[in-house]
Amino acid sequence: MWDIADSSDTVRVRTFVVAIALLAVALIGQVSIVARLGLPGGRLDLVLVLLATISLIEGPLVGAVSGFAVGVLADLASSHVLGQSALVMCLVGYAVGLVMDAADRSVVVPLAAIGGASVAGTLGYAATTSIFGAAALTGGEAVVRALVAGVYAVLLTPFVFPLLTAGSRRLSGRPRQSSGRLRRGAR
Amino acid sequence: MGRDTRRSRLVIIALVIAAFALITLDYKTGRSASGARGVVHSALGGVEDGVSAVTRPIGRTVSSLAHPNRYHDRADRLAQDNTGLRRQLADNAEIGRMSKQLGDLRLLADKGQYSVVPAKVIAVGDATGTDWTVTINAGRDDGVDIDKTVLNADGLVGTVSSATAHTAVVRLACDPNSRVGARLERTQLLGAVAGGQGPSTLTFTLYDASFRVQKGDRLVTFGSMDYVAGVPIGVITKVTDVGGLSRTAEVKPYVSVGTLDLVGVVVGRPATDPGDRLLAPQPVPTQPVPAQPVPTSPAAQTPVPGTGTSPGPARPGQGGTG
Repeated sequence: MWDIADSSDTVRVRTFVVAIALLAVALIGQVSIVARLGLPGGRLDLVLVLLATISLIEGPLVGAVSGFAVGVLADLASSHVLGQSALVMCLVGYAVGLVMDAADRSVVVPLAAIGGASVAGTLGYAATTSIFGAAALTGGEAVVRALVAGVYAVLLTPFVFPLLTAGSRRLSGRPRQSSGRLRRGAR
Repeated sequence: MGRDTRRSRLVIIALVIAAFALITLDYKTGRSASGARGVVHSALGGVEDGVSAVTRPIGRTVSSLAHPNRYHDRADRLAQDNTGLRRQLADNAEIGRMSKQLGDLRLLADKGQYSVVPAKVIAVGDATGTDWTVTINAGRDDGVDIDKTVLNADGLVGTVSSATAHTAVVRLACDPNSRVGARLERTQLLGAVAGGQGPSTLTFTLYDASFRVQKGDRLVTFGSMDYVAGVPIGVITKVTDVGGLSRTAEVKPYVSVGTLDLVGVVVGRPATDPGDRLLAPQPVPTQPVPAQPVPTSPAAQTPVPGTGTSPGPARPGQGGTG
């Protein structure tokens, strides 16, 4: 029992490091590349899309911890109150991680989960900003932005999700991760 | 899965508590983490500068390759030449655009006798998209410091809110926390321009309720210790409050936030207030000024602020903006 937990923990540490590094790169890509593209209707939130994808593949624990870590980094790099996007991101990571087991069943699940995470996350940002600081957006604008972010997330998911799934399998060293997970879960 | 859920539930509770603790600490103490923020800003700013430098040429190349040549069999050499020339054209257009922006900025700075450090926007906003800020690639080593005025060829962009050695964060004028002292063109009446209405609307509050603000009036910065005077802000589009102790109006800023690229940071202020001369000359006589025979012309020359008269016909001597 314990040695299994240990070996899975070493895998976990590597997963955390890779997930956080990936999200930190996405953070820079978001402000330096995506924000400059001037996408019609609103903006694509690269960080939320990647965070939701990682949570969906690796589960709620990885999602929550890496979301928190990257949220703190994003807060430090911004001028708003420290901790507010950390709160939103760790909740998004946890919530998406909860539907991890359903992700294998249908294609619709990742699309809905990642799109929904973008919508909820964008609304969460708007809500926390209006609570802790001056409101940058009105309610209607926030809803429109959230829906646009969701649409972009759904469009991006078919590319990101398979890519990260393959990457996760290679990282954990198991050719078929789902069977391994089931066996561990049965204990 | 059961073990995972219990443990992850504990973790999420701990993380939420930690997030609230961070928020409380930062909210109460204001700048509790300025040291850490500075480190992160300078580290990320360096990376962002590199990313911008790399992605710009790639974007140009992609756009020059976006026109596929369907006759591959004809001559590869011609295709290559074509691509090279297209890229050169795109490069030339980019260089021309940049030099025009730089020239316009130089012109504005010379009109106001400002000393300006030019800088490029390397990041827009933050990851959550709720901050109205941009990051520029000039910092303390270039003379940029907190509270310096930032402008571009069109007018006021914002103020520097934090600076590291090689980058600085600019708070845009449309940020909800931004508040800029402003005055109406041709008067010395003090007011304030605030953001919070989205990127293309500012709110102007004039503290003197006896003066009639009109649609089409133009605003420049008032100037203070760390804020240079005379930078064009925008033009009034709608007067919203005509009662009470102050006047409020909606202002359309000259600077469009979406297309910010080259900006200048004012590092040296002029010895004297530049007045209104930074505003573009207005197409003067909307009404033909036929009533020339006004005998008391020199006495009427002194502009009296706050008289409540409409500025057009009352001052026949002031055709241009001077």
